[in-house]
Amino acid sequence: MTLLLGVLEEGLIYGVMALGVYITYKILDFPDLSVDSTFPMGAALTASALLAGINPVLTLFLSFGAGALAGCATGFIHVKLKVRDLLSGIIVMTGLYSLNLRFAGGRANVPVFTQDTIFENPFLAGIMPQWLSPYLMVLILFLIIIICKVLLDLYLNTRSGYLLRAVGDNEALVTSLAKDKGMVKILGLAIANGFSSLAGCIYCQHKGFFEISVGTGTIVMGLASVIIGIQLLCPENGTSFLSALKLPQVRPTTAVIVGSIVYKACISLAISMGMEANDLKLITSILFLVILVVSAERRKKVKSHA
Amino acid sequence: MKKSFRTFVAAAMAVSLLAGCSGSSGQTATTAQDGNPAAGNASSQAETSGSQAPDGGKSYTVGIGQFAAHGSLDNCREGFLLGLAEEGIVEGENLTVLYENSQADGGIASQIITNFASQKVDLICGIATPMAQTAYGVGRKQNIPVIFTAVTDPVAAELANADGSPVGEITGTSDKLPVTQQLEMIRAILPDAKTIGIMYTTSEVNSLSTIEEYKAAAGDYGFEIVDTGISTTADVPLAADSLLEKVDCITNLTDNTVVASLPVILDKAAKKNIPVFGSEIEQVKIGCLAAMGLDYIELGKQTGRMAAAVLKGEKKAGEMNYEVIQEAAFYGNAKVAENLGITIPEELSSSAKEMFTDITQ
Repeated sequence: MTLLLGVLEEGLIYGVMALGVYITYKILDFPDLSVDSTFPMGAALTASALLAGINPVLTLFLSFGAGALAGCATGFIHVKLKVRDLLSGIIVMTGLYSLNLRFAGGRANVPVFTQDTIFENPFLAGIMPQWLSPYLMVLILFLIIIICKVLLDLYLNTRSGYLLRAVGDNEALVTSLAKDKGMVKILGLAIANGFSSLAGCIYCQHKGFFEISVGTGTIVMGLASVIIGIQLLCPENGTSFLSALKLPQVRPTTAVIVGSIVYKACISLAISMGMEANDLKLITSILFLVILVVSAERRKKVKSHA
Repeated sequence: MKKSFRTFVAAAMAVSLLAGCSGSSGQTATTAQDGNPAAGNASSQAETSGSQAPDGGKSYTVGIGQFAAHGSLDNCREGFLLGLAEEGIVEGENLTVLYENSQADGGIASQIITNFASQKVDLICGIATPMAQTAYGVGRKQNIPVIFTAVTDPVAAELANADGSPVGEITGTSDKLPVTQQLEMIRAILPDAKTIGIMYTTSEVNSLSTIEEYKAAAGDYGFEIVDTGISTTADVPLAADSLLEKVDCITNLTDNTVVASLPVILDKAAKKNIPVFGSEIEQVKIGCLAAMGLDYIELGKQTGRMAAAVLKGEKKAGEMNYEVIQEAAFYGNAKVAENLGITIPEELSSSAKEMFTDITQ
């Protein structure tokens, strides 16, 4: 049970980040490496903010905003300065590493064990019955991710959201509608990095400390979650095992969150099987490669139909 | 037809990958198809493996989480088990040890600790600061006592109160460096040296606080500290070159990244005939001139004895203040001294805990 809760907690935290990666990788077709640094940025800002006595709930918005700014920077570098997509992400990622240390007050490790967090505060302690406390974290995380997901779904169905999706599929169409595709890309990156930073914020409050190394491999986790989730639950040709089993279809955003939980479950299984941490990255990359190869085949098909 | 076949292949691949991890394909496939993540499977597995462990009333399970793999931390772990054995808790007899190394990955670290918790360990040992913090974060919710070691500044890490008392069911040992004794030793070996170079990783908190201490104490011994920060292993060669231009000798901290790249620094320093001082035995073994430092095995033993007291129920972790090793021991390397043309003063070499006569590669 502890393990199940642990996997759910980890999966839901990184699921928020995966929603962001879904926007860049799947919708915009933009390999955005800046999430590797916006994730710890959210954590760093949160640690500092909590120490400064800022309300834990406010830090969620603060982190999202800061992440969005960083995303704008990546977008600006790519769109306005005409740097290649991968490189602009790397530039922001590298620069933010130093900034993150600054945000955390020049320290690479900031504990916030004694501060109030969204998971542990007098208000919650007052209203929550005792029997609920082991599940409290999962419930709060679930609540946050559902809000994120619903807001993102709603946004994707607005005019601006349609444009976002169009940019990834067919840039020319957006231009023909007299819209600036660059601005749309920047907006997409801002939302994506906002989510990543928000996930970092939650991570910091969940773990009770900020550590500069938490960003390592964020993008890999995000991509894995997106690819696993999409391939499992809503592949592009629309015939997943859900339809085969006559189950209702799910939105990609839901699939991505499930993907994140499945990915964390895999890692957790590998660890409890006694697999050495040294080998975990190899497992991730193999998992990755196989799923990518399968999905690459499908993508070609889609493009040829387009 | 083709389409559904492709989907089937995709789903099968993904599921078989999950299965590859779990080793029981049928189970994983069902859980995944329920739309319910394979996590359910994970927990049932962990529970069975956990229940196998104890065989009798006096049997313990300890989870050791180590943040990264390098000599000092490995020695801590080794010493920890020796310390437990001294108290009659022997691995393989009445002790089951679950050991995991997170390879400096914070995300993995937290999953490792969660796994320990799900296997109902009696105690978690966190080696190095981030692992200790992760262990505390999980342990305090699950009521599992945590013993840490190799945490330089438990107070700054919020693992202990300012007076050394525990913040919860957590205690352990600190590997704070004996800075003044090290400076004294350097002065004894190099009477004419003026500047000491220190390389550190900007992302390691332990290094930052030790450097502050060095800077505060250096004046008393007539030294000036020149520090250079790096962010990754790749920065080490360039930083070493620039540092070696400016200093009379170099001293090391227990900085993980720098220690891991120590051979590079030693090689460059040897070419310029600049002595490099270490901070613990392993560094002297591989070619540092000398160190007033910690024996991490001893530190681990001390930690192991504390853990034994907690396991046996003699004391609670929340009742013990964290401990430091009081006496620094001198380690010297005669071969390095010979190469540099330096004589280690008699009073130091005679009091040495260990003198090495060659350089281990």
